[in-house]
Amino acid sequence: MTKRGGALPLPGRMSVMKGTKVAYFFLLPALLYVLFFGLYPLLYNVSLSLRDVTFITYIQGTARFVGFGNYRELFANPIFQRTFSNTLLFTGLSILFQFTIGFLLALLFNRSFPLKGVLQSLIMVPWVLPIIVSGSFFRWFFSDNGMLNGFLLAFRLIERPIPWITSGHLPIFSVTMANIWLGIPFNFVLLYTGLQGIPEELLESAEIDGATGWQKVRFIITPLLRPVILATLTLGCIFTVKVFDLVWIITQGGPGDVSHLFSTLSYSLAFNKLHFGKASAVLIVMVLVVALLTALLNLFQREV
Amino acid sequence: MKRKHHRWKWTVYALIPTVIIILPLYFIAIAGFQSVAEIFHKPPHLFPPNPTLAYYRDAFVTLSLYLKNSVIIALGVLCVTLLVALPSAFALAKFHFTLKRPASLILAFTQVLPATAVIIPLFLIFNRIGLINNYLGVIFGISVFTIPFATIVLNAYIQAIPTGLMEAALIDGAGFLRIFLSIILPLSSPAIATASILTLILAWGDFIFALSFLKERTLQPMSIGLYNFIGQYGVQWNKLLAGSMIFAVFPLVVALLAGKAIVAGLTAGAFKE
Repeated sequence: MTKRGGALPLPGRMSVMKGTKVAYFFLLPALLYVLFFGLYPLLYNVSLSLRDVTFITYIQGTARFVGFGNYRELFANPIFQRTFSNTLLFTGLSILFQFTIGFLLALLFNRSFPLKGVLQSLIMVPWVLPIIVSGSFFRWFFSDNGMLNGFLLAFRLIERPIPWITSGHLPIFSVTMANIWLGIPFNFVLLYTGLQGIPEELLESAEIDGATGWQKVRFIITPLLRPVILATLTLGCIFTVKVFDLVWIITQGGPGDVSHLFSTLSYSLAFNKLHFGKASAVLIVMVLVVALLTALLNLFQREV
Repeated sequence: MKRKHHRWKWTVYALIPTVIIILPLYFIAIAGFQSVAEIFHKPPHLFPPNPTLAYYRDAFVTLSLYLKNSVIIALGVLCVTLLVALPSAFALAKFHFTLKRPASLILAFTQVLPATAVIIPLFLIFNRIGLINNYLGVIFGISVFTIPFATIVLNAYIQAIPTGLMEAALIDGAGFLRIFLSIILPLSSPAIATASILTLILAWGDFIFALSFLKERTLQPMSIGLYNFIGQYGVQWNKLLAGSMIFAVFPLVVALLAGKAIVAGLTAGAFKE
């Protein structure tokens, strides 16, 4: 997917020259860093999730081993069940819309026209905005007397305000809408870059043969773009299942725990209820779900 | 002439979705010029009816300490990230060694890890070694994700630097450290710029690490300063959104000036949705 200008990389012949030790010397800081601050904490979660670690038992070092107790309790808990379906719903809808919108935009931008560079930079805005900025906006936008209800009431589309983020079932859809907006640039950029790799002559000759826009997309672009599409969907899955900030800022998983995703539930278990063991168990489930989704996507790809 | 007209047509087509996408930013920007009553007016104002700078000024004064902390944290992350990622990118780009593939995989894997998956253990560990309520804790936390990302972006670029240059330098008696410092670093400055821009944007926007590791108000960055605002009873939305806009200026300016770099880096690293 990446395209580089300039000289082609030569196969690294330096290795022949006693390079190995030197390479490890240069690599070591990054490797140690990532192992110590990234992978070790990740695995530490496994150990936490198998014990009844609370703040007190952690400080005193008295946390007992409870096997899969934390997991059993979670799966029996309606809040966790709700969180599970919320996360799947949030991920599925987000990716469906982000990807479709991103793809359409990429097709639209796959030609040269005046001011293209500026417009492209503007499309990146949702991506570069700090999450607290977009999160605050959406919290205001969706609030009972907020902008969305303001417009809908003004146009007489509704008679009384809709409780976008204060009711029992709407909040998860509201945060999903916000997340779709947030994910457009990412999908757009990956797919646009992929499109740039398709030779123009191919599309031109199809045009001469009388292919419609839809036919070009269906029979030329989609098959050629398949690896990029798969990568975009896979990364989309990975990044969407783990969303935390947006939901935490807009609803904190509320009201009454109805709009939690795995991340926010875990966070609130850890930092509000100080039950680290259960919080870690939620995370392990999340990681497994991501792994499963990624595997399914790639399996599906192979069979098609 | 006709051809040119034809091309402007596409500008108009592309303009429509672009405007819709940046509409939230517009409403954030104008909210800061209005009173609370005005921003809750029905129907919402499309232009501030009585624009005033008072709320922006107010927000800036209230939040300037937070802004300073954001700068410290972002620069700290940048230093740690470049210091660690540059050598590792060099190693991965220009050498062959047994653990090369596992090492790249570990980096790629860490990059897509959820921050929530490391935050609880890191909190417990940092709590023990005094990195809670300390800039360093947040800086180390954010760098977990910027280091792999920067390494991947830099690696892609350094690979393209001709190996012949280094061989010549070796023959002339230069050591590998010397080659790294006086050949690789200067030649990869465009990639260093890209990696730095993205690292700064990511560190600037961080929310979860500061939220979890900095409880002391005097140390908190702008993201948490704004978040504290939301938590208050009777949020002053106009001031909050004015503050948000001030906070957003830096990444927005960067996006407009270096849009190409962002696109290139995002494609190479694909690290944040």
